[in-house]
Amino acid sequence: MTTPALSAREVKKVYRPRNRPEVPALKGVSLEVGRGERVGLLGRNGAGKTTFLKIASTLLRPTSGEITIFGHDVMAHPEEVRPLIAVVPQEGKPFFHLTPREQVYTYLRTRGFSRESARTRTEEAIEQMGLGEVADRLNVTLSGGQMQRAMVATIIATEAPLLFLDEPTIGMDPFARRGVWDSLRRLTRKGSTILLTTHYLDEAEVLSDHIYIVDRGKVLAAGTAEELKRKTGGTLRVSIRGANHMREGFRSFGDLIVEDDTFHIITEPPRVPEIMQTALDQKLSVTVGPVTLEEAFLRLVGRSINDES
Amino acid sequence: MNPEMEAPRVRRSPWTGLPGFFGTESRVQLHETPSLVSALVIQVIFLVFVWLLAPPSYRVYAVVGAIVFSIFTVGERVQNEAAYIRLDHKLNELYHASPLAPESYFVGMAAGVLVLYLPPVLMLVVILELVHPLTALPALVFLASLAGIWLFSSSMGYIISTLFRDLRAIWPYSSLLFNLFGVLPPVFYPLAAFPGPLQPVALLMPPSAVAALMMDVMGVAPLAHGPLILAVGGLLVECVGVTLLGLRWARRSAREGG
Repeated sequence: MTTPALSAREVKKVYRPRNRPEVPALKGVSLEVGRGERVGLLGRNGAGKTTFLKIASTLLRPTSGEITIFGHDVMAHPEEVRPLIAVVPQEGKPFFHLTPREQVYTYLRTRGFSRESARTRTEEAIEQMGLGEVADRLNVTLSGGQMQRAMVATIIATEAPLLFLDEPTIGMDPFARRGVWDSLRRLTRKGSTILLTTHYLDEAEVLSDHIYIVDRGKVLAAGTAEELKRKTGGTLRVSIRGANHMREGFRSFGDLIVEDDTFHIITEPPRVPEIMQTALDQKLSVTVGPVTLEEAFLRLVGRSINDES
Repeated sequence: MNPEMEAPRVRRSPWTGLPGFFGTESRVQLHETPSLVSALVIQVIFLVFVWLLAPPSYRVYAVVGAIVFSIFTVGERVQNEAAYIRLDHKLNELYHASPLAPESYFVGMAAGVLVLYLPPVLMLVVILELVHPLTALPALVFLASLAGIWLFSSSMGYIISTLFRDLRAIWPYSSLLFNLFGVLPPVFYPLAAFPGPLQPVALLMPPSAVAALMMDVMGVAPLAHGPLILAVGGLLVECVGVTLLGLRWARRSAREGG
C-alpha cells in the first residue's frame, strides 16, 4: 500500500500564553491526504487551520498527536520532511528589496536547485503567475495582489512533493486567482500534493478533491464538495421570494433557510416539481439552483455552533 | 510516479543552503542603497568630529574604534532584519519549512548584512593605513578579532530578535544594548581613560577588548600580562560561547513551541 502524502492522528495543540488562560487550538485532528490530491481545509477564523498547517510543515510543535509526511515523522525527523515540502505562509510577503524574479530564483538556489534549473523554473513560474511585466521591479513597488502572486510563484517553482498554501489567493483579482488554480492543477498532474486553506469557498470547490471542515479545533465534516453539500439535506436549493409568511407550508419538502425576505428549501431533485407546483398554485415566483459549498459550510458550521450552545 | 523523487537531493548538514541564503540576503542588503550610504556617512561624520576635537594621538583609537563599531553594529542590523522578516513578512516560515538548515538561515543573514558594512570598513581601513600602517601580525589579529566580533554581535542580535512579538518593542532595546556595548566602553578612546576599577569589565566586553588588543599589537598602548590574558581569554570564550549559543538557538527557534 502506498504511504499517504500526509497522515495526522489525534493532533492536539494547546497554547499557553503567559498570564492568560490556555487556548486549546486543536482538540484532536485526524486526517489523511493521498498522494497527488488537492485537499482543502476550511473553517472560520480561529478554527485551527493555520495551527494545523504550521504543525504539519514543521514550524510548530504540537501538544500531542502524530503527523507523518510521506511516512516521515514530522515531530521526530523534521529535517527529513523539510526537503519534501514548501509553504506559502498566511499573510506572507516577499522580500521588499528583491524583484519577483530574484525572489523565486534565490529561493530555488537556497533549496539546492542548480543555476540552470533554477533559472528555467523561475521563468516558468513568473510566466504562470502573470508577473512578466513586473518581474524586474522591486517587490516593494508591487500591489498587494502582485506580491501575493510572487509568493505563490516562489512556491510553485519548487514543485515540491507536498505544498502547503495558507490562503494563497488572498488579495488577488479573479483573473490572478484562476491563474493560481491552473498552476495548482498542473502541479498535481505532475505528482505534487496540495493542502490549502481558503475562505473563498468557490475556490475550495473547484480546486479540492477532498475537503475537511474544521471548527473549534476539530474536524467537523469531511468529503468531496458534493458529499458535503448532500450533508445539508439536499443538492438543490429552491428559493421563494417575498412569501416568508407562507414558509411553514413548505417545511415538509426539506430544510428551510430564511434570508431576508426569501426562504430557501434545501431538497433533492425528485421533490422539485412538487414544490414548483405548490408555489405556482399560490402564485409565488420560484428559482432553482444547486446548493453551493458556501451554503453547506454555513449550515454545517452553524449547526455545530448551535449544538455547542 | 513517486513524488519524493522530485525533491532535489540535498546533503543535510548545519550548512545546507548557506550559499543560497547568503546570496539572497546580500542581494536584499545591496538593493537598500540608503542603508549603504548611511553606513558610510555615519562613520565619516564621526571621524570628522574626532579629527577636529581630539589630539592627533587619538586618531588611531578613533579609526580602530570605528572599524570595530561598524562590525559590531552588524548585530543590530541582523536583529532588526531577523525580526522584520519574521514578524512582518513571515518569511522565516518560507525558509524554515525548506531544506535550508536553520543555522544557515542565521549565518547567511549575518553574512549578507556584513556585505553592507564592507564598503565603510574598507574606507576606514584605508584611513587607518594612512594614520598608522598595519604590519602582518596586527593585521591578522585584527581580522580574526573582527570575525569574532561579527559572530558575537550577530548571534546576540539573532537571539534577541526571536524574543519579541512586536517589531516596535525591539527598537529601544537594540539601540540601548548596542550603544552600551559598542560606544560607552573604551572602543573609540584609550583604555587608560576609563575608570581604573572598571577596566577589567571593559576588557571583558568584546568590542573594547578588541580595541585594547589592537592598541597592544600595534604598539600604541601595550597591555600588561594580566589584562592581555583577560582580553584575549574573554574574547575567545565570549565569541565562541555566544556563537555556539546562537547556532543552537537558531535551530531551536526554527520550530515554535519547543
